[in-house]
Amino acid sequence: MNTTPEAGTLPSNPDAPDCAPFFIRGHLIEGDEVVHRSRDLGVDFATPKIDLKLLIHPRTELPPLLNTPLSEIIAFLVEAGRKLGDIRNAYVESCIDRTATVSLQPRKTIELQMRHACRYLDEKVLNEVVEQNFCNPKALDEWVPHIDHQGRRSFIRAFAPRLIHVLPGNSPAMGILSIAQSALVKAVNVFKMPSADPFSTVAFLRTMYDIDPHHPVVQSMSAVYWRGGDDSVERILLRPQYFDKLVAWGGGDAINHVMKYIGPGFQLVAFDPKTSISMIGKEAFQSAEELAEVAELNARDVAISDQEACVCSRFTFIEATPEKADRYCELLAERLRIDRVGGAAAPRPLDMELREQIDALRMMDDEYRVFGRSDGRGVTIRSDKPVDFQPLRMTSNVVCVPSLQEALKYVNVATQTVGVYPFGRMEELRDHLASGGAQRVVRLGEAGPSAIGNPHDAMYPLHRFVHWMANENGCVGE
Amino acid sequence: MTISASDRLVNMVDHENAFDLPLADVLPGQLAAVNERFQTRVQKIKLLQHRAEEGRVREVRRIEDIVPLLFAHTVYKSYPEAWLLEKKWDRLGKWLDTVSTARVKPMDTGAVRDLDDWLHRLEEQDHYVSCSSGTTGKCAMMNATTFDLQYAGRAFLHGLLWAGLKFNKDRMMITCGQFPTSPRNIATGGPMSEALTDPTLTPFQANAPPITIGSITEMIMLRKKIADGTASVADIQYYEAKAVARTMSAISVIEQAADAIIANRGRKLHIIGFLGAMYQVAALVRERGYSGKDFAENSTFLTGGLKGAQLPDNYREIIFDTLNLTPDRTFGAYGMQELNTNAMRCRAGRYHLAPWVMLLLLNESGEEQIPMPASGEIEGRAAFFDLSLDGRWGGIISGDKIRVTCEPCACGHRSPSIHSDIQRYADMASGDKISCAGTIDAYVRGVT
Repeated sequence: MNTTPEAGTLPSNPDAPDCAPFFIRGHLIEGDEVVHRSRDLGVDFATPKIDLKLLIHPRTELPPLLNTPLSEIIAFLVEAGRKLGDIRNAYVESCIDRTATVSLQPRKTIELQMRHACRYLDEKVLNEVVEQNFCNPKALDEWVPHIDHQGRRSFIRAFAPRLIHVLPGNSPAMGILSIAQSALVKAVNVFKMPSADPFSTVAFLRTMYDIDPHHPVVQSMSAVYWRGGDDSVERILLRPQYFDKLVAWGGGDAINHVMKYIGPGFQLVAFDPKTSISMIGKEAFQSAEELAEVAELNARDVAISDQEACVCSRFTFIEATPEKADRYCELLAERLRIDRVGGAAAPRPLDMELREQIDALRMMDDEYRVFGRSDGRGVTIRSDKPVDFQPLRMTSNVVCVPSLQEALKYVNVATQTVGVYPFGRMEELRDHLASGGAQRVVRLGEAGPSAIGNPHDAMYPLHRFVHWMANENGCVGE
Repeated sequence: MTISASDRLVNMVDHENAFDLPLADVLPGQLAAVNERFQTRVQKIKLLQHRAEEGRVREVRRIEDIVPLLFAHTVYKSYPEAWLLEKKWDRLGKWLDTVSTARVKPMDTGAVRDLDDWLHRLEEQDHYVSCSSGTTGKCAMMNATTFDLQYAGRAFLHGLLWAGLKFNKDRMMITCGQFPTSPRNIATGGPMSEALTDPTLTPFQANAPPITIGSITEMIMLRKKIADGTASVADIQYYEAKAVARTMSAISVIEQAADAIIANRGRKLHIIGFLGAMYQVAALVRERGYSGKDFAENSTFLTGGLKGAQLPDNYREIIFDTLNLTPDRTFGAYGMQELNTNAMRCRAGRYHLAPWVMLLLLNESGEEQIPMPASGEIEGRAAFFDLSLDGRWGGIISGDKIRVTCEPCACGHRSPSIHSDIQRYADMASGDKISCAGTIDAYVRGVT
């Protein structure tokens, strides 16, 4: 075990698995006792053994951040943001290279996402996030008095929670966001890193350590890796004795594994797997120019993060006949095949199974038509109902509907963002979209940028994180 | 008259030493044969034509030329599932046509009652479609001709003979559990039974409704409707009742097999079944107070792995000890519904390839070929070209991770052989996959 933080370097022996250190409550833990294999690309990496005892912050001890004013936390995060955004930051540089070896996303995309995430660590942004999440942010710093209309007196505190986070593998910037959000609510945290990115969260924490190793933000954070579903860790750690909430990103196995531990006193805050869609009205066909413009907007929403994120459009519902939709699909395929990241390496080809499914539809050239090649650069499929596979790797399924109202039946609680064209039609659709389960309606082409502090997955996350505590103290006049 | 390269290999099915040929001796012939198959099928199988165009392949000369022409095993379930749900037999027929050698002609689909009925009507056109339901629930549909079925039966029989099973017609055959009925299962099971069984004894099969592919698919479709929220109350009641009936039937089938084994304990038995069912039967036989010493020298044929069954670690001992089975009376094969021909297990416990089945080793993603060294064992994704396949394309990428060697085997045979430890890539996926764009609706609807 080594507790001296040094800038990470790639291993000198190229055959030895790369080492992913842990960070536990202000200490760097290095070691290569356990070798893991990454889930997506099957790359080996080594980690120290987990000492579970170190991850537990006893409930008899108050959270380190409890009495640190929010303004001070924000100032620290802002300074960390500057250090993280500095291109000379060796931790971040090295972690981008390393993450590129285990991630499905190309290096360039990972770098862009990390650099972009640093912008979140801005004073105005962080304050706005807090103000949007809490009607009275003071409750984070102190016991806020309240008297109800019957005269009963209380003090309310958004008390610092104990959180265990299961981070997603498709979004290397999520570590920064999660650290910042957790610090804002003064939480005690354990971050379970994904095998597709066992490096970045520790790199961020090491940068913070360099600013002030004793800062309560640094003391409140642990980032470790274990294989999802590993009972020897999860059965011990995932208990209400130790944590208030499990903040889980993702779905399928990741959620199924942890669901069994959820119960009274140990709540789930789930950022579920989502699909995003686009809805295009007949107005798009008014002129060739307009149609081309719409295709470009649509392509932007498909192409975010190489279509790996939940915000990326996968299905486009369009008010058109098959013939008109074919014209649109051709344009959309062209726009999808543009290299938007710049200098990106050859795309990862489609998985065999996906390619077989798309090629099968290619053969059925009346009910379905396929545009573009199945090479991972961009392909569109026109159909009259959604295809029964998940469009991935720059694949968009354009579904003809007689009216956008008809598309609402395909909306469900797994529908996250809906991009609409023409923009004026958002109003007619939004009640129905919300009723169907969707969480966000935007102008087509604007799925990527999101307004600061807005609800995510139908909740205000920070509001959900905290341990809401009431201290009632008699009635006025007693 | 000259004989084609493919016929020369395919005709070796009756050859005594078929499983003894070193790769170096057969490879040139295999390449020539694959090229013959390619040239005659490229115009017939629409998907193959597409593959050839995309991969710019005009001729097969080297192993590398075959790789772009291989179909993933999932290709046989690449049809839109909604067609099955909506009983669009004409559409499904059109899809089947794109992956078949002989044309699937349009038929009057108005009169088709259900999937089983449709499959039955296809048989009148010499399309024998075998289905297998995979892990995703969607069933694969593989077209075959009369030739394929007869060949699969012959290849299996000769493989067993090569593996050392004595065809003395002195055993009674007992099936544990139920196999789904498919033309291929019937074609391979029949000849084995005939060669082994005492003609005066009827092979034992439990008295239970057959598991047809239509009945499996019906349940899958109902589950999908329930998950989609489009199932009616009547649908759900029907589903629940069927599920209970299926469970009762499964219990009864195991009991009947245990009874049959006990009742015929004086006879030499040949016991077959999936490992899960065999274990349940053995456990029941044991529970009723019988063990190895009560039985004659029984034999068995094992295939298909555990199929997801959760069994205790000592399940093999329980099966073998209880039913008096020994390694020298245990036969096995590595095969798949996608191929006509199995790789047969030798006395050294390895699976040997017939010369008309070309093995191509690929990397995990199935895109690149891994050259096979002359010595040493090498690991990769198994792909095969079964030259005997008539009704569809012979080149298939499997979902299996295998270890293979070209060195002569400890059993004395020189054909390439596969280690018995075969893993499925699908089973190896860890629970680590976390992606917020993951499996979406499927997950939300609970159909993962």
